[in-house]
This record gives sequence, C-alpha cells and structure tokens, in this order.
Amino acid sequence: MSANVDADPRDFVEGLPNIGIMLQDITEVDSSLFVTAFWSMLETIEMAFIGTVVGVAIALPLSLLAARNLNHKFVYVPVRALLAAIRTFPSILWAILFVIIVGLGPFAGVLAITMYTVGFIAKLQYEAIEAIDADPMDAVGAIGVSKLQLIRFVVLPESASHLLSQILYIFDYNIRQTSILGLVGAGGIGFYIINYIKFFEYGKAAVFMLVVLVTVLIIDWVSVRIRDKYIIKSQRGMQVKS
Amino acid sequence: MEKQKGSASISTLSIVQMNDVSASYDSKDYVLKNIRLSIPRGANYAIVGQSGSGKSTLLKLINGMMHPSNGKVLVDYKVPNTSDRKFKPFMHKIGYIPQNLGLIKNSTVLENILIGALPRVNGFNSFFKNFPDSEIKNAKKILKQVGLQGKAERKVYMLSGGEKRRVAIARALVQKPEIILADEIVSELDHMTAREIMDVLAEAQSTMNLTAIMVHHDLQLALEYADRVAVIKEGEKILEIGVEADRIVDFQTGNYTQKEILEMFNTESKE
Repeated sequence: MSANVDADPRDFVEGLPNIGIMLQDITEVDSSLFVTAFWSMLETIEMAFIGTVVGVAIALPLSLLAARNLNHKFVYVPVRALLAAIRTFPSILWAILFVIIVGLGPFAGVLAITMYTVGFIAKLQYEAIEAIDADPMDAVGAIGVSKLQLIRFVVLPESASHLLSQILYIFDYNIRQTSILGLVGAGGIGFYIINYIKFFEYGKAAVFMLVVLVTVLIIDWVSVRIRDKYIIKSQRGMQVKS
Repeated sequence: MEKQKGSASISTLSIVQMNDVSASYDSKDYVLKNIRLSIPRGANYAIVGQSGSGKSTLLKLINGMMHPSNGKVLVDYKVPNTSDRKFKPFMHKIGYIPQNLGLIKNSTVLENILIGALPRVNGFNSFFKNFPDSEIKNAKKILKQVGLQGKAERKVYMLSGGEKRRVAIARALVQKPEIILADEIVSELDHMTAREIMDVLAEAQSTMNLTAIMVHHDLQLALEYADRVAVIKEGEKILEIGVEADRIVDFQTGNYTQKEILEMFNTESKE
C-alpha cells in the first residue's frame, strides 16, 4: 500500500454510498435546470467544434512540413520540434495560459482546444503521410510533377481516410476535454459543474455531468456510423488484391 | 494467339545508352555489373531475368530514380536524374510503370490517369483538379484505347488486377511519352489476361511510335512481343537475343544456337 499517495481501498468502499446521496439529489433538482445544462452543453460542443476545425486547418500544413518523405531535414526538424513543444502541455494548462492572455470565457477554451488539436493531429498526420506506400509517390514523382501536385494527387488522397478517422476521434475527445476547461474559467459546461460542487449542490452538478455523459455517447455513436460509412469501406477496398 | 510485335519504325540511333554501368544500393554489393546496352529508338525491348537479378534497378537507372556507381547512362543524350532541374522537363517523356503500379487507390480511374497530364497543367488549376477540356478529352480517348471506356469514374480499389494494369498504362500514355518503362507488368496475371495487357502495350507502342522497355521474368513471353531481349543474370547481361524469321538469334556474340539459348534459360529457371 502506498503511503505517499494515501491510497486506501477502505476509503473508497466507505465513500461509495455518497453516490446514492448524489443520485437522490438529482430527483430533487428543478427540471428547468436541464434546459440550462442543455444550452451550456451546446456551448461546449460549439467550442470543441471550432477548436477542432481551426486546429485541423493549422495542423494539416504543419504535418506536410513535418513529414520526412516530403521535406529536407532543415524543414522537418524545426517543425517537429515545434509540434513536440505544443504537445507537452495538456489542454487544461493551455486553457490557464489563454485565460491569462485573453481573459475568462469560452474564447480561452477554444484557443486551448485548438492548440491541443494542432499538436495531436499534426503528429498523427505526419506519421500517416510517412507511412504512405512508396510506390505511388515514386511513380508520380518520376513523371516530373511539382511538390504541390504530388501532395494534391498522392499524399492527400492516400492519407485522407486516416485523417478523417483522426478528426472524428479528436472531436469526440475534444468534447470531453472542453467539458472540464470550465474548471479554470475557460467556458463550457465545466464552469457550472465546478461551481455547483463548490457550493455542495451535488444534485445539480450530477445533472450537468449526466448531460455530458449522454452527449458523449451520442457523439460516439455518430462517429462510429461515419467511420463505418467512409473509412471501413475504403480500407476494405484497399485490401482487394489484384 | 497471334503475336503483336511492335511495328514502330526502329531507328538506328539509340535512345538509351549504357556504357559499362554498375549500380549498388549499399556501395558494397553490386546489383548490376558492367552493363552495356544500346536500345534503338522505337524498339520494343525486353529485359529478362530472375528475381533479384537487377532488372528493376536497370529501369530506375533509365528514369533517373537511381544513379550508376560506375559507367554512364544516357537517355536521349541526357543524364537521367530525377533530382536534377535540367532533367525535369524530360521526365514526363518517360512513362514509368512500377511493379506495384503505383496507383492512387482511393481516387477514380480518370483522376489517376490525368496525373500523367500534370506537367502540362499549371499548379493553381491542378490544385483544384481543374484540367483543360483538351486534356480530359485526350484522357478519355486513351481510356478507350486501353479498354477502360465507361470506367472513368470507378475508384481504383474496385478494379480487377488486369484493369488496374490498364489504368497504369493509360496514365503513362497520357504523359505523351517517348519511352515506356514497365516493370513486370504481367507477372501476376493469368495467361489470358497477361496477353491482353501485352497486346494493349504493343499496340500503343507501335501506333504512338514509342520505345518500350519492359522487364519480364518469362522469356517466352518476352520473345513473343519484343524485338530484342536482354537476359540478365546476377547483375550481368549474359545474352542479347531476338527472334528473326522464327529463329532465336544471339545478337551479342553470335555464338549460341537457338537450342543452346533455350537450354541455358531452362537450366537457369530450375536453379
């Protein structure tokens, strides 16, 4: 048993009935609170969405610059270093930084999500680009096309299904992340949750957490459907041998 | 099946010259040793050898993807080098079909073959896949020529092995090339399909007046279609033969009879 982290299973077992109290509190909450929770969830989704879209838009050109099979060492080494630096911060630290820079509110949250998305997507995408089959790159490169044409006609189509899959994943992940950014005052549903908890209104906090849970489940279900429709099909197609 | 030998006018001037060329990937083991070749303009030339004999390397030396360690390669009097700016304008005149074809599987047939026209389209237009009408018309004409009419909008991953090869040929032809390099383009196909593909290539070679340089591992097939066949073994050219008046002729030394040549190749295949 670790004394340092004070981990004691007995505390956990003894504390378990507290969930019951919390659930009981939910039944006593005014139903109009669900409307508030719904709107704040919508704000959270909006923040995650904007952060994801802007983040991907910035990550994509960076990933093209970071790919070793497309660039000279002098280009990809600094770009990779920059991306590694961006990835060292978790989104909550970015949020604190942006709250200091732009003040409290959702904008700081959007910026935090954007930064996290840039670091994450750019890395996965440059790895996907480097894993592209060398054959089409060689065959098209040997025609004497420009680098931009090579990117447009080989790199983007060959890595598109990876990118779509990663965007779906990060969007899903960003909604969960955005839900807690409110803890540091960066907007979204987490702001309500932390405040209710501070004032011991566990029932109300639980309502908001429930809304987060349901939303994440829905988003998850939708992304599975999109994945099935666009990604699995093309990958199955790729496996068709000549 | 009647053989379709290329009837393009063969010039006495060579389009590809190799003088004592050696090549290696790791500067230790040579995959090609002292190769001397002279491929006439307009010829249908085949290079035959077993896996690992250096055939594919030979094609990469011609299109400039690889450089010789020793000796000199000249293609149309130029030194091929894909990273040399001076060679770039000539690159699209060489249609290269690698062994795995190098097609973009998630793109359509038409998008794939229009890649061959990219050196003629400016960067801005090509980024938005905005090709001139004349290029699209030409691409569709070539699709018909290779037997892919009606399949322009099909995604490549949905095609059969034979159809994929036709796409790769079409992409090379859209380049308006002077030379076509094909690396074992029919080796994984059944007998019938292989001949269909070879017929498509032979017809294009003769009607478009191209020089075709194809790598095979099947000597019989090579002799059937090519004017001349170079046999490579362990990186060295051991024979240069062709069929004249239904007899196999040894162009290199004149020392071997038809029977000896076939015997030599048969024992080689069994090794």
